Amino acid sequence: MSWQVHLPALLIAVPLLGAFLAPLTALGGKGLRNTWFVLVSLAFTLIAFLLWARVGAFGTAVYVMGGQSWNLALPSGMEVPVRILMEVDAFSAFMVLLSAVAALAGAIFSVTYMDRFSGLEKFVALYFLMVAGMFGMEITGDFFNFFVFLEISSVASFGLVAFWRDRGEALEAAFKYMLVSTLGALMVLVAVAFLYSKYNVVNMAALGKVIEWGMVEKTSLVLFLTALAMKCGAVPMHMWMPDAYAEAPAGVTCALIAVSQASLYGLFRVTYTIFGAFMGSPIIPWVIIVLGVLSMFIGVSMAVIQKEVGRLIAYHSVSQVGYMLLGFGVGLLALSDARAMADYGFTALKGGVYHIVNYTMYKGLLFLSAGALFYATGCRNLNDMGGLGRKMPKTMGLFMIAAAAIAGLPPFNGFVSKLFLYESSFAVHPVLAVFAMVTSVLTLASFVKIFQTAFLGPALKKFDNVREVPGAMLLGMSVLGVAILLLSLFPTWSVNHLVEPAAKALVDQASYIGAVFAATVPGGGL
Amino acid sequence: MWDQIQTGFGYWDVYAWIAFFLIAGGMVYLIRSFGRKDYKRDTEQDEIFFGSNPVPDDGEELKVPASSAYWGYTQALKPFYDVLVGFHTGLATDYAGWYILVTALVALLILL
Repeated sequence: MSWQVHLPALLIAVPLLGAFLAPLTALGGKGLRNTWFVLVSLAFTLIAFLLWARVGAFGTAVYVMGGQSWNLALPSGMEVPVRILMEVDAFSAFMVLLSAVAALAGAIFSVTYMDRFSGLEKFVALYFLMVAGMFGMEITGDFFNFFVFLEISSVASFGLVAFWRDRGEALEAAFKYMLVSTLGALMVLVAVAFLYSKYNVVNMAALGKVIEWGMVEKTSLVLFLTALAMKCGAVPMHMWMPDAYAEAPAGVTCALIAVSQASLYGLFRVTYTIFGAFMGSPIIPWVIIVLGVLSMFIGVSMAVIQKEVGRLIAYHSVSQVGYMLLGFGVGLLALSDARAMADYGFTALKGGVYHIVNYTMYKGLLFLSAGALFYATGCRNLNDMGGLGRKMPKTMGLFMIAAAAIAGLPPFNGFVSKLFLYESSFAVHPVLAVFAMVTSVLTLASFVKIFQTAFLGPALKKFDNVREVPGAMLLGMSVLGVAILLLSLFPTWSVNHLVEPAAKALVDQASYIGAVFAATVPGGGL
Repeated sequence: MWDQIQTGFGYWDVYAWIAFFLIAGGMVYLIRSFGRKDYKRDTEQDEIFFGSNPVPDDGEELKVPASSAYWGYTQALKPFYDVLVGFHTGLATDYAGWYILVTALVALLILL
């Protein structure tokens, strides 16, 4: 038996250990704390990569904590016992890998970016707690644990958003985020309680096997849908997002993007894996599509008129989440019709999955670039900036890569996922594709605005002493910049090895359910 | 790895685009090489034309601020933007209110 069977447990244990030992590392000084920050981040990224590779090679991994054996999902005499069960299929592994890369980039960037501030042992501890919660959401096999991990990541995020507590705006943003997030988490708990009251199980695979389409299930689905859509910033429940993303330290925002993707993951796990084709109504797919179109268009419309870099990019997060909702909504609409699925549904799903990876990379890089501008100039407002391209050519280059990718300019990776989405949504209704394309044009317009006002134009006297940001920050940004370039230059590899396995796993409800029910005897399973 | 991506409706070939950019870049370089050879850096040839007025020392007096970007676009869509900005009140109660409203609306659609 390979030690790699324990990767799911290690994925959560390593960042948790990182969090609990962070205050102790502070006793050894700044150097030890920073080394710990980067080493633990590298460790969980390596674990995420190994887990993704293992799931690709051996199929879905099931891991049981607190049971007789790590691979004994259903011991005799108890149909579905209460324990921590993790189930990692290709979609979960894909999400974990992306989240780990974003969190690593955020950590490397933060080492220098946060160096001017005190209380960084708390920062590191909260950062790792947030990462542990995020990973837990993406690999858990039961809904109650999903709620627990959601809360862990949310509570850690509140602290991180309010980290610059001398800024009233940061405290206000954290408070608003906490209010809506707690409300949403409460609704998730109520949804889990509804299902538990009827089926006496919280295990996702077990629920997927027995679930019916009645009043209890519909109510539960509505609560899951709106709570998780709110957590990932769907319009009109998005308003917390520009506040929180703009106020959090840039490295944190980079990881927060992955946290919001974990909520998106939860939403699609519920709709595809638990209900799937069994959902006897097109209303839910259309609700997701409408939320997607609203998010795309309203998000980008608000972004165009923003003057603060962080808020402008944050409104684009709302808009980009809209693309993903559109893709997954169209895929869900086609799920019960094999022909529609073959014609356009799976293409939409691939577009949605591909956009997740693209969005995580380029949006992370954009927030880090905004952080670099703030670090070098002390300014957040675009009106106060100008001519910085001469002073910060490397930051400008990395920003250009991310801006071109988010705007969907060929040959960057954003173009490929958008192409999938345009063509598949056109098959459902041309208006959907029109909204997606108009959003893309406005996205380009708003990033041209940042580029022109921050980097171009005449040199300003007040920035005479501005220099390029330190190497560690550039390294954090380069992790994501290189990922964007690789995704752009090798789109076929990306689709074949990253996107398609994840999309196939998402629609393969039987395989997800079967993986748990197959792991019933010691020595079985992965 | 080097194949085209099939979308079901068409295809995407990144290498064709890269080849296009390389060819276009080569043509730009060729055209540029036909330019004047008597250009000298850091002479009056480098000076900005500022409506025949002296160029201010500080770029602050020259630059176009972000708030002026897309002025025509935002003016033309002012009624739309008035509604949109008004909808973003910044009030925490509204944040929670919109969430509850959407939940209620989706519940009505699904349950009835």
